[in-house]
Amino acid sequence: MRILLAAAAAVGLTAVALAQAPVADPVIVAMRDEAARSSKLNLPNLQPPYFVEYVLDEADSFAVSANLGGLISRRRDVFREPEVHVRVGDYKFDNTNFAGGGFGGSRYDLEAFPVENAYPVLRRYLWLETDSAYKGALEALSRKRAAMGNIQQGEQLNDFAHALPVHYVKPFGRLAIDEDEWATRVRKLSGIFAKFPQVKDSRVDLQSAEGGYYVVNSEGTEVKAVENVTYVRARATAQSPDGMTVRDAVAFHSLDVAHMASETEMGRGVTAMAENVVALAKAARGEDYSGPVLFEGMAGAQIFAEVLGKNLAPLRRPAGGRGGSAPAGDLEGKMGARVLPDTFDVVDDPTQKEWRGRPLFGSYEVDREGVIPKPLRLVEKGVLKAVLLTRQPVKGFEGSNGRARLPGAGAANYADISNLFVSSSETIPAADLKKKLLELIQARSKPYGIIVRKMDFPSSAALDEVRSLLQASQGAAHPVSMPLLVYKVFPDGREELVRGLRFRGFTARSLKDILAAGDDQRVFEFLDNEAPFALIGSTSFTAETCVVAPSILIDDLELHPAEEEQPKLPVVPAPDIKR
Amino acid sequence: MFVRLSLLCSAAALAAAQPNVLLDAMSQEMTRNFTILKQKADPAPYFLSYEITETEMHSLTGTLGTVDVNNGGKNRTLDVSIRVGAPELDNYHRTGGNAGQFTSGSTMTYEDDVDSIKRRLWLDTDRAYRAAAERLIRIKTNTQVRVAATDASGDFSTEPPSVTVEKLPKLKFDLEAWAERARKLSARFGNYPSVLTSHVSVSAMTDTRYFVNTEGSRIAHGRGFARVVISASGKATDGTDVSSFETFEAVDPDGLPDDKPLIAAIDRVANDVVALLHAPEAEPFVGPAIFSGRAAGVFFHEIFGHRVEGHRQKDESEGQTFTKSVGTKVLPDFLSVVFDPTERKAAGVDLNGWYDYDDEGVKARPVLAVDKGVLKTFLMSRSPIQGFDHSNGHGRRQPGLEVVSRQSNLIVQSTNAVSDTRLRQMLIEEAKKQNKPYGLYFRDITGGFTTTARAGLQAFKVIPVIVYRVYTDGRPDELVRGADIVGTPLASFAKILATSDKPEVFNGYCGAESGSVPVSAVSPAILVSEIEIEKKAKSNDRPPLLPQPTDMEPKGVGK
Repeated sequence: MRILLAAAAAVGLTAVALAQAPVADPVIVAMRDEAARSSKLNLPNLQPPYFVEYVLDEADSFAVSANLGGLISRRRDVFREPEVHVRVGDYKFDNTNFAGGGFGGSRYDLEAFPVENAYPVLRRYLWLETDSAYKGALEALSRKRAAMGNIQQGEQLNDFAHALPVHYVKPFGRLAIDEDEWATRVRKLSGIFAKFPQVKDSRVDLQSAEGGYYVVNSEGTEVKAVENVTYVRARATAQSPDGMTVRDAVAFHSLDVAHMASETEMGRGVTAMAENVVALAKAARGEDYSGPVLFEGMAGAQIFAEVLGKNLAPLRRPAGGRGGSAPAGDLEGKMGARVLPDTFDVVDDPTQKEWRGRPLFGSYEVDREGVIPKPLRLVEKGVLKAVLLTRQPVKGFEGSNGRARLPGAGAANYADISNLFVSSSETIPAADLKKKLLELIQARSKPYGIIVRKMDFPSSAALDEVRSLLQASQGAAHPVSMPLLVYKVFPDGREELVRGLRFRGFTARSLKDILAAGDDQRVFEFLDNEAPFALIGSTSFTAETCVVAPSILIDDLELHPAEEEQPKLPVVPAPDIKR
Repeated sequence: MFVRLSLLCSAAALAAAQPNVLLDAMSQEMTRNFTILKQKADPAPYFLSYEITETEMHSLTGTLGTVDVNNGGKNRTLDVSIRVGAPELDNYHRTGGNAGQFTSGSTMTYEDDVDSIKRRLWLDTDRAYRAAAERLIRIKTNTQVRVAATDASGDFSTEPPSVTVEKLPKLKFDLEAWAERARKLSARFGNYPSVLTSHVSVSAMTDTRYFVNTEGSRIAHGRGFARVVISASGKATDGTDVSSFETFEAVDPDGLPDDKPLIAAIDRVANDVVALLHAPEAEPFVGPAIFSGRAAGVFFHEIFGHRVEGHRQKDESEGQTFTKSVGTKVLPDFLSVVFDPTERKAAGVDLNGWYDYDDEGVKARPVLAVDKGVLKTFLMSRSPIQGFDHSNGHGRRQPGLEVVSRQSNLIVQSTNAVSDTRLRQMLIEEAKKQNKPYGLYFRDITGGFTTTARAGLQAFKVIPVIVYRVYTDGRPDELVRGADIVGTPLASFAKILATSDKPEVFNGYCGAESGSVPVSAVSPAILVSEIEIEKKAKSNDRPPLLPQPTDMEPKGVGK
């Protein structure tokens, strides 16, 4: 796979036709017609747009939340969320990638995007939104031109990469879910916590959505791509005798309702999670530790998702940012350098549909910019060979590889992983990893080693906890979330759960110190977003992603106890639970 | 579409709450928390109350023949009020314009699941208690280093408890029928090509409040709200945004008007927008004016109403326009102003600002604020002010915020009332007397701002949408656009000359410290000898660069 797609090579090629719907979709036709009209805007003294794009997310969704057997909310909604992108200038220099933009444009009182497919109303909405975006783009471009007169730029990056026009239209499904049955199920799951009076607060959420996104642009791309997701998520907190809040969460994902875990399986998962919370509340506080850490099962995959995955999408820094730009990612400038032990290969493959009989959660056929993704060999024999790219050029790379998965600022998108497969050519039986850890600590005369079985990723933390974690991470581009289930393991093999530990200085560079990988392969499915630690509920857009990876033993990691002040225990004991 | 609509309807058929299960859980948990906190906590609480607000809502918006349904669903929000210290000085004591925020308005289960209800009450009581204890300690330190406040009244009044469970409202809303009506009605805006955006929105809601306190109050009451909002906007060639709207309110969707008056309203709103697009820009002007009844209602709400809210009299950061004016003349002697939350209808229209109990569980009652021009009292919550030791049932809030004194139904009564025709003649006479070519007629006002804080300019600005010049030489009235009314409150009231004999109703929502609360203003039209208007800030954008898409049929859609 070539990394740097030459822009010229992509121009002028004919459209790739993947699928053609028999009857034209009124949304696509309205978008096509208005994009065509808008790009011919020819007004005296005004530069016409060179690119107009409409992205529309649509979902038919059902959501239920419950606490201790009582429903908190229950909603069925159909909604559409439009984005209108207008670019003025040219691919080399346009109104985007500029820190001083983002204002101007007329405000029209349009309310929500129409959910009914009435062509004239769709046209009218797009007409006014395009007008507003175009005026904003003109304003931003003139400001950018003025600001650039005063800035010495290092490397001149183009503002937008060329891409092939794509035709890909699939019908959206209607959500077929037995609402009452699922409400009852969520209510029941939330009632499990009644058996754990030590759990202070808890919540179970279900969301099931069918729909997808439209992408239509003035280059001729017409996309209607299906995106369905169903998940059940349970969260719980308790308070230790010293006041520390401990928590855990569990989630079940599926691409459709029919493939959700059984009620029994979810019940077991929720019960185990409640037991974790109760155990954590009773556990001793962890102490400072420096040495080898074993990430077992799900935790291994979580580390690759967060520490590697989050760093695989290079960031474009907007011009004119006055020094307030984002910190460099851990892998920036590392192309061709070793980032993992030389036994490791990493592949991101959205085209693979299933793995060992289970549908893969991160598969998709075309991204939010209408680019068709291919499998990417990101790391070969430990060496970084490729990164995740959108149509937004970044330092060293131009040309999308179809990883635009989350809406970004302005007309840009964020790149994200899809199905990330991490493998090592040298593995040892997973059960032997703990032995290996014990050998290491004995050789170094340490009283104990550390096993992590679950990371808080995506994070279920409260906002103030996230804030303090971010402060402690001192400006790292992608600070690592806190470990939720941490065990001290003593030379005799005995384990002790500890609480309140955090990593210090854990970056993608630490992955070079992986000492061993297990022969286990754990599938970790999650809903990613652009917030720190992929904080649950922090954004309305998520990307369905999946990591398949082994357990790993990493040398020389540092853990330290959390130092925040802890609230006192409530004066009044919890009310008795009746059931 | 129909699949979705029927789903929504089945959701609406959910059984109504059993008030006793909820109220029982609330009083049990309140008593348990209060008893233990009193024994073990330091500082100890002397008062605890829970208010749970249950809302259920359906709304839909029609746009040019399409309909978008939003199912708000049902939810319950919890507000905890806990007072530590003593009624003379507690955690709600106002310092520097701030009375603290203790409730967090948690969302809780809307089902009568006692375990879940009690757990939420316990968690939120703990959280509110911590915040209350911390603030009381800070205030006590603070009062020792500051000079004594002029108003030395206490922080919490004594009120008799209320025990009542009223018949609770049930949401009945024929979503399918309304969706069809909104579809047809909104399509009518298609007749007005120069209207850029237009909507016909319909909403129906029930708001039920459950209240218990440690003084023995135990209340369940509620009401419905239904509303149709017709709105349209346009953009003039010079960039000015123009808009107009009309609203219809009723307690129950059945009370909303049938199609005929709605169609008439759509035509009026659309014609207003079209006329505004071509209207000349208003020029700064000082001279006589008539406010229509609806406009006068907003005018009184903004300029008078906010200044008689009790807590503002105590707060030394406030302008305290009327604090020392009780017993003196503040309005012309032909005017009286009553705030009456017990009034449910006026001039044949359902009022928005009525309720049976306020958010401190105090029974609603009429409050004669101004009697024949003389200020008699203020709007009171349970926060006393000098000379006014008790609540008069005006402690209100939006769930999640702390109660302050707020308006209800403001009703202006006049003994100098003349017919509309006579009032217009008087306007022309007054303009002639002042040598002005015209007077102004304010037909509709969207709302306004008033600064009551001392640090700000003690002025108001109200935003009229429909303003006419009424010429003295007999020319037809002329619509103008882009005017704001500015003034200072005391000077403005002295200039009211007369009123019409026909009260009109303005229903709306008022936003202030304790959030958005439903209110009404009822007033006859008023004639003022002098009002000042200034040019409104306007947008410099051009109207849409491309004409509206005219090909209303898609070219490529297969049939």
